Amino acid sequence: MSGTVRRSAGGSGVVRGSVKERARIALKDDFLRGAVRYTTEKLRGGRKAAALEQGRWEEWRERGRSIRLHTIAHLDYYLKQFADNARTGGAHVHFAASGADAVRITLDIARSAGARTVVKSKSMLSEEVHINEALEAAGIESVETDLGEYIIQLAGEAPSHIIIPAIHKNRAQIAELLSKEAGAQLPPDTKALAGFARRRLREKFLSADIGMTGCNFAVAETGSIVVFENEGNARMVSTVPRIHIALMGMERIVPTWEDLEVMATLLPRSATGQKLTVYMSGITGPRRDGDGDGPEEMHVIIVDNGRSLQLGDPEFQDLLHCIRCGACLNACPVYRHIGGHAYGSTYSGPIGAVLTPALNRNVAEWDDIANASSLCGACWEACPVKIPLHDMLVYLRRKKVERGRKNTWEAAAMKGFRVVMSNRKRLEAALALARIGQIPLVRDGAIRAKIGPLKGWTAYRHAPSLAARPFRASWEELRRGLAQTAAPKKAEALQKLERFARSRQPEGRDSQ
Amino acid sequence: MTTSDREQWLERLYRQSLQDEAAFLQNIARRLGRAEPLAEPPRHPFRGAPDFWREHSLSAEDNIALFMANWTGAGGHAIRLPELRAAGQYVADLARERGARSLVCQNEPELLLWRLDEALPDHDVLVWAADRPGRLEAAAKADIGVVMAEYAAAHTGSIVVTSSPDKGRSVSLLPDVLVAVVPVERLHTKMGDFLGRFAEMARERMPAGIHFISGPSRSADIENDLTIGVHGPGVVHALLVG
Repeated sequence: MSGTVRRSAGGSGVVRGSVKERARIALKDDFLRGAVRYTTEKLRGGRKAAALEQGRWEEWRERGRSIRLHTIAHLDYYLKQFADNARTGGAHVHFAASGADAVRITLDIARSAGARTVVKSKSMLSEEVHINEALEAAGIESVETDLGEYIIQLAGEAPSHIIIPAIHKNRAQIAELLSKEAGAQLPPDTKALAGFARRRLREKFLSADIGMTGCNFAVAETGSIVVFENEGNARMVSTVPRIHIALMGMERIVPTWEDLEVMATLLPRSATGQKLTVYMSGITGPRRDGDGDGPEEMHVIIVDNGRSLQLGDPEFQDLLHCIRCGACLNACPVYRHIGGHAYGSTYSGPIGAVLTPALNRNVAEWDDIANASSLCGACWEACPVKIPLHDMLVYLRRKKVERGRKNTWEAAAMKGFRVVMSNRKRLEAALALARIGQIPLVRDGAIRAKIGPLKGWTAYRHAPSLAARPFRASWEELRRGLAQTAAPKKAEALQKLERFARSRQPEGRDSQ
Repeated sequence: MTTSDREQWLERLYRQSLQDEAAFLQNIARRLGRAEPLAEPPRHPFRGAPDFWREHSLSAEDNIALFMANWTGAGGHAIRLPELRAAGQYVADLARERGARSLVCQNEPELLLWRLDEALPDHDVLVWAADRPGRLEAAAKADIGVVMAEYAAAHTGSIVVTSSPDKGRSVSLLPDVLVAVVPVERLHTKMGDFLGRFAEMARERMPAGIHFISGPSRSADIENDLTIGVHGPGVVHALLVG
């Protein structure tokens, strides 16, 4: 075994504690904040330009959503079709109900083959089920070969962005990590560092017994898996070693190659702004008789691990439509400030905030993340398959309250709010009192004092003071002015709202 | 584990897989509100790209111009040549210019016609042979890999290569430089123009590897700094012939 450093003890290198504590750490890291801001801005700009270049983007999004919706609604059929065709193509297909099953099957294959080294290309699913740790524990070297993943593996950390995993590492840190691996000082120069990684990983590709990839899409009609990547390492690990294992989330299916065109249009453009990733590989089984390369044996492990819990749930089934592009991370004002590690789980950003509790069925443990959101809907706007993530965050909050995990202060405040708001006289009296009561607290039109129940709000921002003349006092006057100008626009506005509401209705969910 | 042990082990795995599959699919069907997994193919009303896109088609000349713009935009070199022989000349010149020592070519009649071994007597010119020992290591050491594109798509600037006994997946992957010959009649406007053909192939004749390549290998994993050639070829030439 080489001196490869692996993930820190306790599993994934994920930081525990509350999202507030993790965010506080992230906010103190100036490099991280700058890097996250720069990267997300670049990716977001790239996505917008690529969508514009493609044209009629809303129609593409709608088509993407329709295909995902149809596929997930008939997942039992398509998954079987995929498995049957993959077996015809010579692949061994396995079904793993849990992450532990996926790990067990992987280890079985590795042990039976007497494998000593596994080379891996980027796979969020393998992070989800912690395959590296399991292989290591079994005495099998596991080497990440995506440049970013290689770097964070050497650092013993988890990815902080779904597309650019080592976003949080600077060049000097990377030089230090790779120098330790090289046993010689490498300059903090991108070319030199990447050159070292290329040479080192070349040796690994050529000597490894097993190559592991993820699977972006699985084409049911031919039993092929499809992998998108830019470096060529996924091609390496699926071409050179004797055995190829593909880890596949059960929802990765597309029915046909024609459908793949839609996904190939949406995924790279939404992820990095590329028209297509440098490599898109469709792999169908092991090498054919007579082929001179490609694996002799191919295994596809289809993993549930909490995904099926979303099926049939009208609020969360759309989560399975996700194509893992990361566009919602780049669009999210929260992610852009705190980066991926503050989310404390494999998947970060808006998709992570919803997917993590959904897959783990423990709203309780992750509930603080659902609250760390402004519900602005930027994630939904960016999503190439229109997953209403901001609505799901609200559903999560509701679930949390339904399960009795409420804040006493908040509950009392809501009760008081109801008492006051349900009676006009009470409201007016309360406001008159508050206007007097606030006087000692107001400075320059804002309340900053961090005292009592106000603290929850004023610890992070100023509360505006109550207006001297409330809006309701001006309303009669305003209404008269509006009645004269706005009448004809009302019908139009209503229609627009209705159209919008219709567009949000899931169609054909139960149709066959 | 001996070969026959392993066969037996795989057989056990297969039986286990069928069992797991039944439970797995049953669970999905139940969650979707069905008593049994769906056996009949569902009607798929949204198959493939939107209609306006299916109709999208450029002239042959526009396809060539767009492909070349996209390929060079991604960091590749693209050149149009009148005929196949000129492409052979281009490869020979490239090998000399780059000071290459060895080349590996797919075993395709068009490429063999060039007689590169005669044009480059001081170079190792390997033709991919599925039974040659050490072929992967040789491809990894080769400076230049030469392939024929099966298809190409102008809209994304992509070439498509497929595997067979005569066509190694390594040839387009392991050398530092990739040269792809693209006969212009194989160039389409978009991938949707030929993707359906992969589905029509008989399953057992389906190539194990179908690879879309859209430029040099790249990474932006170190401080967003673009690195070219991180694992795959860093220099890619597309020769449009015809």
